Amino acid sequence: MDVGTVIHAICFYAFAGVAVASGVMVIAARNPVHSVLFLILAFFNAAGLFVLLGAEFLAMILVIVYVGAVAVLFLFVVMMLDINFTALRQGALQYLPIGALIGLILLVELVLVFGAWTMAPDFAASAVAPTPPIAQVTNTAALGALLYTRYIYAFQVSGLILLVAMIGAIVLTLRGREGVRRQKISTQVSRARADAVEVVKVRPRQGV
Amino acid sequence: MPVAAVFLPLVASFIAGFFGRWIGDRGAQLVTCAAMLIAAALGITLFVQVGLHGQSRVVDLLNWMDTGDLQVQWSLRFDALSATMVAVVTIVSAMVHVYSVGYMAHDHSIPRFMSYLSIFTFFMLMLVTADNFVQLFFGWEGVGLASYLLIGFWFDRPSANAAAIKAFVVNRVGDFGFALGIFAVYYLFGSLQFDTVFAAAPEVAKSSLNFLGHNYPALTVTCLLLFVGAMGKSAQLGLHTWLPDAMEGPTPVSALIHAATMVTAGVFMLARLSPLFEYSETALAVVVVVGGTTAMFAASVGMAQNDIKRVIAYSTCSQLGYMFFAAGVSAYGAAMFHLMTHAFFKALLFLGAGSVIHAMSGEQDMRKMGGIRYLIPYTYILMWIGSLALAGIWPFAGYYSKDTILEASYAAGTGVGLYAYWVGIVVAFLTAFYSWRLIFMTFHGKTRASHDVMHHAHESPPVMLWPLYVLAAGAIVAGFLGFNHFVGEEHEGFWREAIFVLPAHDTLGRIEELPMWVSKLPLVVALLGIFSAWVAYIWRPGIPTWVTSHFRPIYLFVLNKWYFDELYDAVFVRPAFAIGHGLWKKGDGAVIDGLGPDGLAETTRGLSVWASRLQTGYLYHYAFAMLIGVVALVSWYLLFQIG
Amino acid sequence: MIHFALSDFLPALPEMFLAAAALALLILGVCQGDRSAREIAWLSVLALVVTFALVAAPLHAHGPERQISFYGMFVTDGFGAFSKMLVLAGSALSLIVAMRYNEQEGIARPEYPVLVLLATVGMMAMVSANDLISLYVGLELQSLALYVLAAFQRDTLRSTEAGLKYFVLGALASGMLLYGASMVYGFAGTTAFDTLARDFADGGTASIGLVIGIVLIAVGLAFKVSAVPFHMWTPDVYEGAPTPVTAFFSVAPKIAAMSLFIRVMVGPFGGLLVEWRQVIWFIAVASMLLGAFAALNQTNIKRLMAYSSIGHVGYALIGLAAGSAIGVRGILVYLAIYLFMNIGTFTVILCMRRDGKLVENIDELAGLSRTQPGMALALAIFMFSMAGIPPLAGFFAKLYVFLAAIDAGLYGLAVIGVLASVVGAFYYLRIVKLMYFDEPKGAFDKPIGREMQAVLVLTALVILFFFAWPGLLVDGADAVASALFSG
Repeated sequence: MDVGTVIHAICFYAFAGVAVASGVMVIAARNPVHSVLFLILAFFNAAGLFVLLGAEFLAMILVIVYVGAVAVLFLFVVMMLDINFTALRQGALQYLPIGALIGLILLVELVLVFGAWTMAPDFAASAVAPTPPIAQVTNTAALGALLYTRYIYAFQVSGLILLVAMIGAIVLTLRGREGVRRQKISTQVSRARADAVEVVKVRPRQGV
Repeated sequence: MPVAAVFLPLVASFIAGFFGRWIGDRGAQLVTCAAMLIAAALGITLFVQVGLHGQSRVVDLLNWMDTGDLQVQWSLRFDALSATMVAVVTIVSAMVHVYSVGYMAHDHSIPRFMSYLSIFTFFMLMLVTADNFVQLFFGWEGVGLASYLLIGFWFDRPSANAAAIKAFVVNRVGDFGFALGIFAVYYLFGSLQFDTVFAAAPEVAKSSLNFLGHNYPALTVTCLLLFVGAMGKSAQLGLHTWLPDAMEGPTPVSALIHAATMVTAGVFMLARLSPLFEYSETALAVVVVVGGTTAMFAASVGMAQNDIKRVIAYSTCSQLGYMFFAAGVSAYGAAMFHLMTHAFFKALLFLGAGSVIHAMSGEQDMRKMGGIRYLIPYTYILMWIGSLALAGIWPFAGYYSKDTILEASYAAGTGVGLYAYWVGIVVAFLTAFYSWRLIFMTFHGKTRASHDVMHHAHESPPVMLWPLYVLAAGAIVAGFLGFNHFVGEEHEGFWREAIFVLPAHDTLGRIEELPMWVSKLPLVVALLGIFSAWVAYIWRPGIPTWVTSHFRPIYLFVLNKWYFDELYDAVFVRPAFAIGHGLWKKGDGAVIDGLGPDGLAETTRGLSVWASRLQTGYLYHYAFAMLIGVVALVSWYLLFQIG
Repeated sequence: MIHFALSDFLPALPEMFLAAAALALLILGVCQGDRSAREIAWLSVLALVVTFALVAAPLHAHGPERQISFYGMFVTDGFGAFSKMLVLAGSALSLIVAMRYNEQEGIARPEYPVLVLLATVGMMAMVSANDLISLYVGLELQSLALYVLAAFQRDTLRSTEAGLKYFVLGALASGMLLYGASMVYGFAGTTAFDTLARDFADGGTASIGLVIGIVLIAVGLAFKVSAVPFHMWTPDVYEGAPTPVTAFFSVAPKIAAMSLFIRVMVGPFGGLLVEWRQVIWFIAVASMLLGAFAALNQTNIKRLMAYSSIGHVGYALIGLAAGSAIGVRGILVYLAIYLFMNIGTFTVILCMRRDGKLVENIDELAGLSRTQPGMALALAIFMFSMAGIPPLAGFFAKLYVFLAAIDAGLYGLAVIGVLASVVGAFYYLRIVKLMYFDEPKGAFDKPIGREMQAVLVLTALVILFFFAWPGLLVDGADAVASALFSG
C-alpha cells in the first residue's frame, strides 16, 4: 500500500465523516443560522470528495453555485424571515419515537441491501464507462463533449426546467405595485419641448 | 273475419284503457260496446259456419317460439268446440258490456272498467281458440289476470283486494298443476301442438313415467296434472274457495267471468283434451268424483247463504260440478251443452241479481230484502225465468242440458257414474230449493228493508234490462234449439273431430235405452224442491228457524262452507304467514339486513369517516404516511420475497 | 466525432414544436401583457392541436413503429403516440374550459397557458422516456410547472397552500425516485431502458438492491398518479388549486404518469413482473378501496373528485398488475374514457357559480335538473359512467381492465375492484339523486359560455355513444399495446 493510497483514504474518510456530521447538525442545530452554516460545511466536504474523484470542475461549481449563491441566499432568507424554529420543532417532537423507529427500520434495511452489494456479472457487460480517461481530457472538455452530444436531450429538457422555474418564480411573486413611479425611457427620449414647457404670461398681482 | 272477432276486443280494450281519459266515459263505453256487439255478430256467424256447416279451420297468425325442438305457433283453431265457445263468450260479453253502461253509470273509472272487461274477453277468446298448449296457457293466465284486476276493481275496499289476491293465489295452485301438465305433455309427446299430441295419444297411453323410483301410467299423471289446472280455474272442490269471495267484484264481472265464461274454462279444457282423457280411465273417474262432490258441496252451502250473489256463486260452483262429471263420463257434448245453457241463465241470474242490488241501493243481504216484486216487476219475471232454467224445469234450457247429463252418467253404468247420478238428483232438489229460497226471500213476503231503501227502489233502466231480455231468450230457447246438435241425434255430425270419445265410452249414444224414471226423476225432484221452498218460506215461515235451531251443527257446518276456509287458514295460510313473518323479521330484518345492507352500510360509513380522518391537512403527516408506505413495501420485499 | 443529422431529431418533432410554441407564446404574452390572455390561450390550444396532428400523422402513416433517438434516451412508438394524443387532448380541453373561469377569478394571464404547454412538453418527454435520466428530467419539467399552476391563484391562501404542499411532497417523491434510480444504476450499471430490458430478458436475476430500487421508483411514480398510500396530497391540492388547474391535474398529468408507469414497468423491468406485481397489486387495491370509502363522506365536490380520481387510478392499475398486452390495452381504454368523463364533470363544476361567486359544495347541485336540465343531464351521464353503469363508456373502461385481471388470473383483484365500484356507485348516484329528486337551491349563473357548452356536449356524447363504436378506441389501444409487448 503506497503513501498516495493511504492519504487518499484518509482524505476520503475525513471529508465523508465531516459531511455526514454536518448533515446531522443541519437538522439538530437550534439556531437556524447555524444550520445554514453547517449546510455550507457539508457542501465544502462534498466538493472535497469530488476533488478526490478527480472531478475538479464539479467541485468548483459546487462551491461557487451552492456555497456562493444558494447557501448565502438561504442565509439571507433565514435571517430576514425571523422564524422561531424552536416553536415549530416543538410539535414534531411528539412524533419523534415513531419517526425514529421508522427511520431506524429503513436504515437497517438499506444497510442490509447495500451490504449485499454485488454488481451482478450479467450486467457487468452493459456497465460501460461513458467518460473518457481523465488523464487525456480536461474535466471541462469531457463534460462539454458529453453534455452537447450524448446527453443533449437531458440537457435541453433541463434548460426548460430552469425556464419553468424562472417563470414560476416570476408568476408567483412579481406584483405590479400601485403608486410606483417607473422610468419609461422611450417616453423620456421622445419628449419634446412643447410637451414639457408652457409659457404663461402672468400679469402682476393676479397670479396664474 | 273470425280473427276480427278475437282481436276486436283487444283493440277496444287498448283504446279504452290508454285513451280513456281522452275519449271520456261515454267514448270508452261506446268503443267497447260497439266492438263487442260486432264481435258477437261475428261469433254467431262463425258458429253457424263452423258448427252448423262444418267448416272448421285453423288460422295461422305468426311464429311464436322456435327454439330447438320446441316450435310454437300463434294460430287460431276454429272447430265446433271453439266456435261454440266463441259464440257464447262474445254474446254474453256483449250483453254484459251493454249492461255495465247502466250498472256502472255512477262509477269514477268507467274507461278502466270497460277496458278490463274487453281485455278479459280477448284473453278468453285466445284461450278457446288455442291451437296448442302454450297458447291455451297464455289465454288461461290472461283471463286469470283480468279476473284479478276486475275482482279488485274497487281497490279502495280492503275486502276486494283480499278477494283478488285470494283468487290469484288459489288459481296459482291450479296453474302450477297445469304448467306441470304441459311440461309432462312436452316430455311425453315432444310437441305442444294439439293435433300432434292427440294423434300420438293412443301410443303414449301405454307408456309409463318413472318418478322417484316408482312407475306411473304416463297419461294418467299428465291428465291429472292438467285437471288440477281445470279445478283451479273452475273452482272445483278444494280449489273453490276463491269463487264466492270473487263476488267482491262488480256484479257484471261476476256474471261474465265468475259465472258464464272464465270458470267454464276448465270444462272447455276437458272437452278440448278429450283425446287425452279418453285414454285414462283413472283420470276420468277422478273427474267424475270431484265434479259430483263439488256439486253436492256447493249446493248444500248455497242453501244457507244470505248474500244474494253468494247464493248464485255457490250455484255456479255446483253447476260446474255437473259439467265436470258429465265430462268425466265422456259426455263432453252434454258438458258443453250445459256450459252453453248455463252461460245464459247464470248470466241472467247474476245480472238480475245486479238489478235487484241496483234497486236496493247496493244491499246484497237477502235478509234485508223481501216484498219488492211489485217495485221491480221485470227483474222479478227475469229472475223467475233464470231460476226455472237453473232448476231444469221443462221447457227451459236447463232442463235439456241437466237431464242429459244425469242420463249420461246413469248410462255410463260405472260405480262413479251412478254416484254422480244420485248426487246429481239430490243436487237438483237442492238447486231448486235454494233458487226459490232466493226468489221468495227477495221478492215475496213483507219487506225487511228500511223505509229509505224501499222508497228509492226502482226498476233498472232499459240499458240494463235489454241485455237481460236477450239472455232470458237464450235461457228459454237455447236448450230446445241446441239439444239436437249438442247431444241429440246429430251430435256426432256437429262435433266431428272436435271431441273424441272411445266407442266404449259412448254414453250419449246409450241414453235412449235407459228406463223412463231415470230421465223424469230430475224434473220431479226439482218441482219438489220448489214446493219445499214455498212451504218453508211462504206457507210456514217458521220452518227454517226450527231447522237451524234443531240441526245446529249441520247448519253451522253448511253455513261455514264446510269449514274449508278455516281449514286452509289453519293449514296453509297461517303457517305461511308465520314462516313469512319469521323470515321477514328475523331472517331478512335481523340477519340479512343486519349483516347485509344495513350492517354493510354502517360499516361503510364508519370506514368512510375513518378514511377521511386520515386526511389531517398537515404536511408532515402526509410525508410521514408516504415514508411508512415505502418502509412497508421495502420490508415486505426483504422479509418475504428475497431470502 | 459525432454527427447530427436532421433525421435524428425528427422523432422528437412534436415535442420540439410544442416547446418552441411555448417559448414564442411566452414572448408574445410578455410583450402584450395580461390583456392577451385569451388570445394566448387560444393560440396554445392551436399549438396543442398542431402537436396532436404531428403525433398522429406518423402513427397514421407508418403504424405503431418503434424508433430510438438521442442516444437511446428517447423512444417513439405507437404506445407513446397514443398516450401523447390523450395527454394533448386533455391539455387542450382543460385549457378551453379554463379561460372563462380565469377571467372571472382575475387570474387570466398569459403565463397560464404557457405553463400548461411546458407541462405538456414534460409529459410528452415522460411518455417517451427511454432512460432513467430522461424519465427524471421529463418528470421534473412536468412537476415544476404543475407546482406553479397549483399556486397560480396566489392571492388566495388555499391555492398557495396547495402549491406548497404539492411542491414539498413532490420533492420528497422525486427524492425517492432518484434514490431508486441510483440504486438501479448501482446494481445494474446502466440507466438505459433497452439495456436493462435486454439484461432481464436474458434471464438475468435481480439482486435485492435492484428490486428495492425498482420499488422506490414505483413509489415515486405512484405519487405522481396519486395511488394510495402516496395519495395524501391529492385531496388537498385538488381542493385548493384553482378549479381549471384541478381539471387539468386530474387528466393530463395522470395519463402521462400512468403511461410512464407502464413504460417503466413493462419496458426495462418487464422481466421482473413477478417481483413488482405485488407492489402494483397492493397500491391498486388500496387506491380502489380508499377512493371508494373516503369519498362517501365528502361534501366538497372537488375533494370528491380527488378521491374519485384516486379510485379510478386504482382500477387502471389493475391493468398494470396484469402485466399483459390486454392489461395495457385496458389501461389505455380506461384513461381515454376517464379523460372525457373527468373533463366533462369538471366543466360542470366550473359552471357552479352563483351570483358571481364560486360554490363547491355538493349540496349546491340540488334540483339542478329543474333549473338547468341540460347540465344536469350531462352530469348525470358522467356520474353514471363513472359508477360504471352500462351502456355508458365508464362501464367498458372497467370491463376491459377487469377482463385483463381475470385473464392474468388475478381474480382477487377483479373481485375487490367490483366491490369497490359498488361502494363508489353510491356517491356518484348520490349526486344524481341530489340533482333530480331534491328541492332546487336556485340556478347557477347563466350563460355558461359557448366553449363550455361545446366541451360539455362533446364529452357527454362521447360517453353516451361509446358503446356504439368501441372499436375506434379499443382497436387502436389493442394495436399499440400489442406492439409494446412484441417490440
